[in-house]
Amino acid sequence: MRDGRSEASQAESRGALLDAVRGVKWPALRAVAGAIPGSHHSRMRGAAPELSEYRAYRQGDDPRRIDWRLLARSDRAYIRLAEDRSIVQTIVVVDASASMAFPVESLAKWRMACDIAVGLAAVAHTARDPVGVTIVGGRGVRHLPPRTRRGIVGEVVRALDTTTPEGTASLARALVGAPVRSRIAIVSDFLGDADDIRRRAGEIAAAGGEVHAIHVVAEEELDPPRRAMLAVDPEDDAIARPFVGDARAAYLSAFGAWRASLATGWRGEGLTFTQAVTAEPASRVVRRVAGAGTGAVARARAEGR
Amino acid sequence: MSVAAPFFLWVAAAVALATVAAHLLAWRRPPTTVLPTARFAPERPARVVSRAVRPTDVALLALRVAMVMLAGVALAQPAFGRERRGSARVVVLDRSRSASDSEATDFARAAFEAGDALVVFDSVAREVPAATSDSITAGARLPVGHARGSISAALVTAVRAAERLARNRDSVEVVVVSPVTKDELDAATGAIRGRWVGALRVIRTTASQGDSTSAARPEVSAGANDPVAASFTLVGPVTGGARVRIRRASISAADSAWAREGGTLVAWPANADGAGRARPSSPDTAYAVVAEIDGSAGEATAAVVASFERRIVPPAGRVVARWGDGDPAATEATLGAGCVRVVAVGVPASGDLPLTPAFLRFARQMAAPCGPAVSLERASDSLVARLLPAQPAAAAAESLAPVEPDRGPSRATAWLLGGALALAVAELLLRRGVTSATA
Repeated sequence: MRDGRSEASQAESRGALLDAVRGVKWPALRAVAGAIPGSHHSRMRGAAPELSEYRAYRQGDDPRRIDWRLLARSDRAYIRLAEDRSIVQTIVVVDASASMAFPVESLAKWRMACDIAVGLAAVAHTARDPVGVTIVGGRGVRHLPPRTRRGIVGEVVRALDTTTPEGTASLARALVGAPVRSRIAIVSDFLGDADDIRRRAGEIAAAGGEVHAIHVVAEEELDPPRRAMLAVDPEDDAIARPFVGDARAAYLSAFGAWRASLATGWRGEGLTFTQAVTAEPASRVVRRVAGAGTGAVARARAEGR
Repeated sequence: MSVAAPFFLWVAAAVALATVAAHLLAWRRPPTTVLPTARFAPERPARVVSRAVRPTDVALLALRVAMVMLAGVALAQPAFGRERRGSARVVVLDRSRSASDSEATDFARAAFEAGDALVVFDSVAREVPAATSDSITAGARLPVGHARGSISAALVTAVRAAERLARNRDSVEVVVVSPVTKDELDAATGAIRGRWVGALRVIRTTASQGDSTSAARPEVSAGANDPVAASFTLVGPVTGGARVRIRRASISAADSAWAREGGTLVAWPANADGAGRARPSSPDTAYAVVAEIDGSAGEATAAVVASFERRIVPPAGRVVARWGDGDPAATEATLGAGCVRVVAVGVPASGDLPLTPAFLRFARQMAAPCGPAVSLERASDSLVARLLPAQPAAAAAESLAPVEPDRGPSRATAWLLGGALALAVAELLLRRGVTSATA
């Protein structure tokens, strides 16, 4: 358990994080299909004040949307279409397996994952999106359904702070019940069922959803100690590899290749992939994740979609 | 402790050092660190070679070093005990009837040094435990025995003592202090000498004056004008006469005690109240008496043809003289180391019969020492040199199984090898335990 001092410093960190992400927009990658007014572009063409285009009336259209003035002037029935905006429910899936409890002394990976989750939740909640969190750990799945109420971010914080990363977790299984037309941010080190997660994420994206992968990497994983040691996987005692001789170089090469292939695989599925190193501020990661959505929207607009 | 093959000790020490070095460079398990991405490191054995100031698996190392050293020491054939230093002697002192009282002990005392072994013998041999020069002096105060000496028995005991001394000494010499008379040698003497691979020295002393082959006047106790005493006056010295007493009267307790110590007591009673018993029938007359002191008729036979009045019957015993009709005239019986001879031959006080040459020969026969004639003649030097050579004959040494001077090393080697084997088994078990623990 953390003592009062660490809790206070963590609160300060969270406060600084929320201040740092204030004003950050996290637009949906594509037009959402929701009808509830929100901040994201909707595929719906509704009666919003902002005119988008006129379209000839077709049977079945709501007669109330006919531009009567234009009908009177031109004797042609057009309906008035406008850019509609909607909300998108956001679920942050946090990996709480034992591999996230690293380094053992500082739990930097887990703290980074929690900060990212809180930051993303705060950003989404600022846009009045329903925000929820799913914590997948060795003791099971803890699910906080997406809500728009004011205290939802605090609930997310408490849920994360009361969780201890341990055991093995299957994020892919946790994603099975996730709503397909939602925005899902997966904060994990992807050292478990990475392929299954990506496959499930691809299915969600294909169904109209939006999945962001935030790969949390500890600084010690990128630059392990140079002394001879026997590295043991916290989730599988059978994996024990000596770091002697050229083993470190081989490790760095293999780990780098794996991270590259992981990013390539996610991006190849049309998903966003962001690597978060524990050495960098969580707010910067949140901005990168949100910026990926902004960039995607800009590209979509530029391509006329 | 001394070793026969120190080369193996050096080899064992080298192997032990190599073992220690191997433990310093042993495969060891590096410190364990949690790393979630450990799977990206190449898969290799969990143990790696590394150097360390302190050896790993101290118990296993100790077992291995002990096993190697034990095997090395065993192969080096150690001889435990005191280091061999100097020489020693086994002084074999003759205390038989052949030895003189003083001369043999003087020679033995001169030859004896501290740490030597002392074996005294007559017909049997005995090693004096923790012998010193005082032991010889104390032994000298005791009279020599009257038993026949046995050099063979003495050599058996001496060789045993010499083999024991040889474990701690560079050289051991057996010193035999004895006149080495003929009767002390037998057919086994040469073979027993051959069993001792070391040196043997014979210090020959003069033979005892109690030599039954030397002539001396027997001690005659008789009254005045005794015919038998007159006869022995004419007989003069007889062979072995120094240990012969002739009693015409009754035998005293002192005479019996003297006879028990090896003397020959001749009871030649003048009448029946001295020894023997009265003839049950009336006294009769015998016309001849024949002495057959050696049990067979021959040159030693002394016959006296005269008329003797037979009034006494000698007691039961070995017959040494018979009357002309075959009845015992004189018998003898063993008493302790000596004997008592009863001569039931009445000698007429009148006449010159006791002075005749035939009777003198008969008297000489009756004054002979008990039993067969004992020859204390010293053996010839050539015989002694042949049977008791200073060094064993090569042929004898080859034909006879040489006595291992020291069996300690072989026994110790067996024990050490057994210990090394036991340590090897323990090392195997311990290694299995360590392997399973580190797996």
